[in-house]
Amino acid sequence: MNQADVSKLMSQLRIAIRPRHRNLKNKDGPEGRLLKLRKTVTALVKHERIELFYNRADEARGYAELLISNAIRHGDTHNATMEMADYWLLEKQLVHKLFKVLVPRYENYTVSYTRMFNAPRTYPGIYYKNSVLELRGNPYPSLIVDQSQNKNLLHNVLLDEARKEYRRKKLAELAQ
Amino acid sequence: MNVSTRFLINRLGKQCAFNRIVTYSTKSTEHAAANAVETEKEPKIKETTASTASEASIPIRKPVIPANYRFIYPEFLPDPKIEWRNPIREKLERMDMLDRRRQIDLPEFYVGSIMAVTSSDPHAEGKVSRFVGICIHRDRCGLRARFILRNVIDHQGIEVIYELYDPTIQKVEVLRLEKRLDDSLFYLRDALPEYSTFDENMEAEQLEEGAPVPVNDIKVVLRPRPWLERWERQNLRGVANIDQYLKDKHRQSARRVQKPWEKYDLMKQYRATIPEEEQNEIFAEVYAELHAQELQRKRNKRKRTFVKPKQLA
Amino acid sequence: MALRNLKSLGQLLLKQQIPQQQQQLIHTTPACCEIRKLARLRVVDNSDLGKRAMAEGRPPRCIHVYNKRGVGFIGDKVLVAIKGQMKKGILVGLKQKQKPKQPKFDSNNLVLIDDNGSPLGTRIHVPIPTILRTILKEKTQAKGADYTKVLAIASRYV
Repeated sequence: MNQADVSKLMSQLRIAIRPRHRNLKNKDGPEGRLLKLRKTVTALVKHERIELFYNRADEARGYAELLISNAIRHGDTHNATMEMADYWLLEKQLVHKLFKVLVPRYENYTVSYTRMFNAPRTYPGIYYKNSVLELRGNPYPSLIVDQSQNKNLLHNVLLDEARKEYRRKKLAELAQ
Repeated sequence: MNVSTRFLINRLGKQCAFNRIVTYSTKSTEHAAANAVETEKEPKIKETTASTASEASIPIRKPVIPANYRFIYPEFLPDPKIEWRNPIREKLERMDMLDRRRQIDLPEFYVGSIMAVTSSDPHAEGKVSRFVGICIHRDRCGLRARFILRNVIDHQGIEVIYELYDPTIQKVEVLRLEKRLDDSLFYLRDALPEYSTFDENMEAEQLEEGAPVPVNDIKVVLRPRPWLERWERQNLRGVANIDQYLKDKHRQSARRVQKPWEKYDLMKQYRATIPEEEQNEIFAEVYAELHAQELQRKRNKRKRTFVKPKQLA
Repeated sequence: MALRNLKSLGQLLLKQQIPQQQQQLIHTTPACCEIRKLARLRVVDNSDLGKRAMAEGRPPRCIHVYNKRGVGFIGDKVLVAIKGQMKKGILVGLKQKQKPKQPKFDSNNLVLIDDNGSPLGTRIHVPIPTILRTILKEKTQAKGADYTKVLAIASRYV
């Protein structure tokens, strides 16, 4: 049992994280793994919604979350945070986006800054699971279909019936 | 609409989570205290009265936890390894730690502080042994927290591991409270003996109240190879003459094993730390007790400093 | 054979050039923190034999450990080869990891004894762990060797 590292202080993530990291197989070892993740995080901040393999998306998600939460926590005057943003965002104009667009957007959020969906797998194709990773509050149309108006769903059927019954009762009262 | 429902659900979930982990001076504390142990009746009553009083005057009163508590009491933070986390065990351990701290004064200390530990030893002559030395390492958490003291006695380097919450320890004194440049001082084993020699009859040095803990920036001189570890690979700041004993092959291999990318690995850091919110919850739980003990210690210190001139006269 | 020649040659050369203190540091085998066979030890009593061996820079080597594990722990009796002789000794301080509250020493310390358990020297010039009192008392049998005499020459306990 070891002591927790107290030299750094970080905000709690709003997503569930795995106990261990994934190696993300590559020939350059841990450094190559980080390079892969940097590319993904950069793409995520740039496009706000990306589709990729599940493993890499899930791995990159934590880094993106921490990058944003540190940026909110320390602001753009903190040298260490700036250095971190400089490392993680390969395209430097995105550093401005992080501090000037994303930080104001997420300042008052109580939920996670990113969202992940399972995406369909192509058949026949590579076996890996697909997923969609997006920043919350992005300008694209929502990926979740709004089911609240679907007539065939059971709760909507029941609600309809209840409404009908209520109306029938009201009419009966009026008739009397 | 969908988003708002999700918000709600998340908030609800959070509240549930907070209820599960007991916080200070909210209603849940009472429940937890009532559920926890029946033997501890006095603190429970105190807590309930405190909470009712606070509820009457101000709706929510949260204690202000000093930012340096995580450095002073690192063993109260659990092991961040997720597989080993167990909130109930951690809470029970914290209660036991506080129980022990009520019995014995365990002062603030850091790696680099000079300490004296008096422990009961059935093999020793007076059934008591006292060891003075510099704290070279501090590790483990909870009730297993321990530290290593090192000293050179009669030209013989000696190290003793002490468990902080060991019931056989009778007294822990900090003779000189200071920090060093590194997180652990294992390199003292390979340094010249004068750097780890400390007088056994050393008097405790008093720090001014409220003064920050001084950092001793002494650079130790290593003796020539062979060493116990490859110090050149560890980026030590408290070593003066390491370059003198290195050949090119050592420098090259040290460069090869460096991991400069690790400081950017955010998730690695996150997995090695306890997040701030959780730390606040943990320290809120133990703050009242620890703070009272600190005040008591200060009072004792003042008493001691006041008595001193009398003895001289 | 050639290697051994080279080693002895090196030692000869060293004897001429390097002062006594540094000579001890040159070994051709890596350091082993456990006391096994051929582990180098440090004599810490003031017996003539031990003092001469340490001063020459040829510390005694353990050639047998008198227990069933083959690894020497604190208070164990060992047979050592010292200056071409076989002598018995007691381990009074170890470099390997110890339990909490047991001191760990920077060197593997040895006190030379004879067959009856009485030490060859008259004083131990380094501290010895207090637990040795209990261990040595337990090891002393009514009719066998009396190891507690080692405790009598200790100058200091930690």
